[in-house]
Amino acid sequence: MNRVAAPEYTQPESLAIQFPEEVKLANGITLYWLKDVKDDSVKLDIEWCSGSKYQSKKLVANFTNKLILSGNENQSGPEIAERIDFYGGYLQHELDRDHAGFVIYGLRENIGNVFEIFTEAFGSVTFPENQFEKERSVATMSFKIESKKVKNICQRRFIKAIFGEASVYGSSATETDFENVQINDLKAYYQSAYQEGKPVLFLVGNVDEAFIQQLKIWTETFNPQPLAYASGEPLQEKGRIANIVVSDAVQSAVRVGRLMFRKTHPDYFKFQVLNTILGGYFGSRLMANIREDKGYTYGIGSDISVMEDAAYFVISTEVGIEVREQTIQEIFKEIERLQTELVSDEELLKVKNYLLGEFLRHANGPIAMMENFKNIHFNKLPHTYYTDFIHAIHETTAAELQDLAVKYLQKDDLSVVTAG
Amino acid sequence: MINYEEFKLENGLKVIFHQDKTTPLAVVNVLYDVGARDEDEQRTGFAHLFEHLMFGGSKNIPNFDTPLQMAGGECNAFTSNDITNYYDTVPAQNIETAFWLESDRMLELAFTPKSLEVQRGVVIEEFKQRYLNQPYGDVWLNFRPLIYKNHPYKWATIGKEIEHIEKATMEDVKGFFFKHYSPQNAILVVGGNVELNDVKTLTEKWFGPIPAREKYVRNIPSEPEQSEARELIIERDVPSDALYMAFRMGDRTSDEHYIGDLCSDIIAGSKSSRLYNRLIVEEKKFTSISAYITGSLEAGLFVISGHLNKETTFEEAEAFIWEELDQIKSEMMDPNELTKVKNKHKTSKVFSEQNLLNRVMNIAFFENMGLLHDINNVLTHYDEITAEDIRDFSQRIFAPNKQSVLKVKIKK
Repeated sequence: MNRVAAPEYTQPESLAIQFPEEVKLANGITLYWLKDVKDDSVKLDIEWCSGSKYQSKKLVANFTNKLILSGNENQSGPEIAERIDFYGGYLQHELDRDHAGFVIYGLRENIGNVFEIFTEAFGSVTFPENQFEKERSVATMSFKIESKKVKNICQRRFIKAIFGEASVYGSSATETDFENVQINDLKAYYQSAYQEGKPVLFLVGNVDEAFIQQLKIWTETFNPQPLAYASGEPLQEKGRIANIVVSDAVQSAVRVGRLMFRKTHPDYFKFQVLNTILGGYFGSRLMANIREDKGYTYGIGSDISVMEDAAYFVISTEVGIEVREQTIQEIFKEIERLQTELVSDEELLKVKNYLLGEFLRHANGPIAMMENFKNIHFNKLPHTYYTDFIHAIHETTAAELQDLAVKYLQKDDLSVVTAG
Repeated sequence: MINYEEFKLENGLKVIFHQDKTTPLAVVNVLYDVGARDEDEQRTGFAHLFEHLMFGGSKNIPNFDTPLQMAGGECNAFTSNDITNYYDTVPAQNIETAFWLESDRMLELAFTPKSLEVQRGVVIEEFKQRYLNQPYGDVWLNFRPLIYKNHPYKWATIGKEIEHIEKATMEDVKGFFFKHYSPQNAILVVGGNVELNDVKTLTEKWFGPIPAREKYVRNIPSEPEQSEARELIIERDVPSDALYMAFRMGDRTSDEHYIGDLCSDIIAGSKSSRLYNRLIVEEKKFTSISAYITGSLEAGLFVISGHLNKETTFEEAEAFIWEELDQIKSEMMDPNELTKVKNKHKTSKVFSEQNLLNRVMNIAFFENMGLLHDINNVLTHYDEITAEDIRDFSQRIFAPNKQSVLKVKIKK
């Protein structure tokens, strides 16, 4: 038999994307519902535009989100947790710079009970002192632990370089910020960002009408008012920004990147193909060179991180301290190759096929489908986004990739930060 | 409910097929019954280093990843103290690519010196990244040899020390391959939107011609029962003192497994658990607390660990934990508390089974334990557990003279 030649393969066909049904609840609040679920699972995401960029004092958005089920005069935080657990429910807190909210997981038979406990607790929270102090000590310690890691030290300095401290995306908390948060800050933020906010609901589950009715009744309690924030124009510091020395470290974290465009930009799709070739998958050039040829690292990758008002491109890795400078040189060498040499037909085909496979893997099952829809919703993308993306991948040429590398990956436009 | 069909090849390879017509994907998973416990004490970390070499080209195929990515696929692998598991996820129509690749590396590796040299470097960086360059990263490197005196569980999967990885030779690599990577020592699980007949044909075609090799018979030292309390204190540059307590318990296939799992949920599995409420919320002695079982295939562990608040002494911390352990040993719990942890398992089971790769790996683990017939009874096992079972288990397991304790102290 012939073990040398690869078996025949075909490109995955176009993607079967499922869109959720749109249900109008009260006060202009919308529910997106995927009900074609084969088992008893129910997942409900509730998201507000109340991420940390809306806070006027650091960590307030974070503490408010964490403590929203911390109790009131009639029931304590642990009692609420106990009741949710009793019905087999899971509750996850979600917070980033743009959004904040909760994900509730349960089974069809109990989701109504879990949601009722959630809404009762949500509506009557008083942010008890005891729970607040607990959260402060837990969060402070976890911050201190995270702050010991070179990757976090590096990342904080890097986003400051990319966005500048005036931007809501460029600043990070410090230890003193944990001491400054007060209960009154949380109460005020809860009122303006949640009670007077306008949540969006994403539901994946074969629930009955009674549950939808329950959601509708809950949304009657909201009084949506616009919430403002000062975005602050991003201002990138370019070049070799900092080498932060961390005593005793045996590896250095490295970040190389720049401000980037968002998903609505006409070059976004094809730049993603370029990003994949450079550092977006296991077979990427950075992995092939810095891990699989030199053995400098356990992993290296590149990515475009997109937020509501801004985005950045970043290459990240952790390498032995003694090979840090060689690694940075090799990163620039790989970028230069993309600018001066055409990607071969074989490599381009491999990346296209890999990406098409990725679309299938990321659209497998209703929960994944809803994640894709959330991407479209929050980034204000057209419903044809995924089919457009696939189409653009098929169309991409080596010459276009070279142009993009020249246009967007100039060495002078990149910021470099290391820690370790 | 996980459906499956089993068959076996003449060379001894066990094959299980799990059909799912709702996905456009297929998974090919190969579990090898070899882990860090099968290593020589002077050459630890080898099973894991070897896993890296499995991607460095095989007899007829110079590169594993490229043809898989060409067919739209993705792959990965992991090594534990017990097993080594490889998996490929591909568009279902391209499943043959995964058969071709997996069968060729079971047939024979390329054994190139370049691959060995590079992967030694990669694994050393992995060692640094995960175990040396993180606060508390080296806890288990130190804790294992305190808990296990005889059994190879006394070293971590990554290995005892970097020097062992540096010293690995090509001769070691070849020996390890022919000893452990035989068809008789492997389980192939195929899942997804494919048909049984096609799976049978492809398996025969690609894996059938691989010769059977000498069967490896595991003969490793067992761990005697522990009869004295053990303690180790290490000083590190960390933000808080941390306490780790380990108690020996039954292995993954014993009755104690499911009881221990529920017991760990009750003790510190969630924000409504006993230790969380008492030690973090009420007393504020800790800033984090967790309890879990290791679920290893031999000599299992029940572990409780947490970070101490800055005013808390180790003596106080231990006393509080023991107070809760003594209570679970002496008092019968409220039936609602037991129902609560069972209900949580029910929910998480439904969600975890949505994922094709999870189902396929689970099949491979159960078959490796010789318990495939039991794979759909897991919730029943949890359901059958009573308050007496938890109390009896606690009485057997939580004995002061059977604990191993590791304390990480802030370096002054």
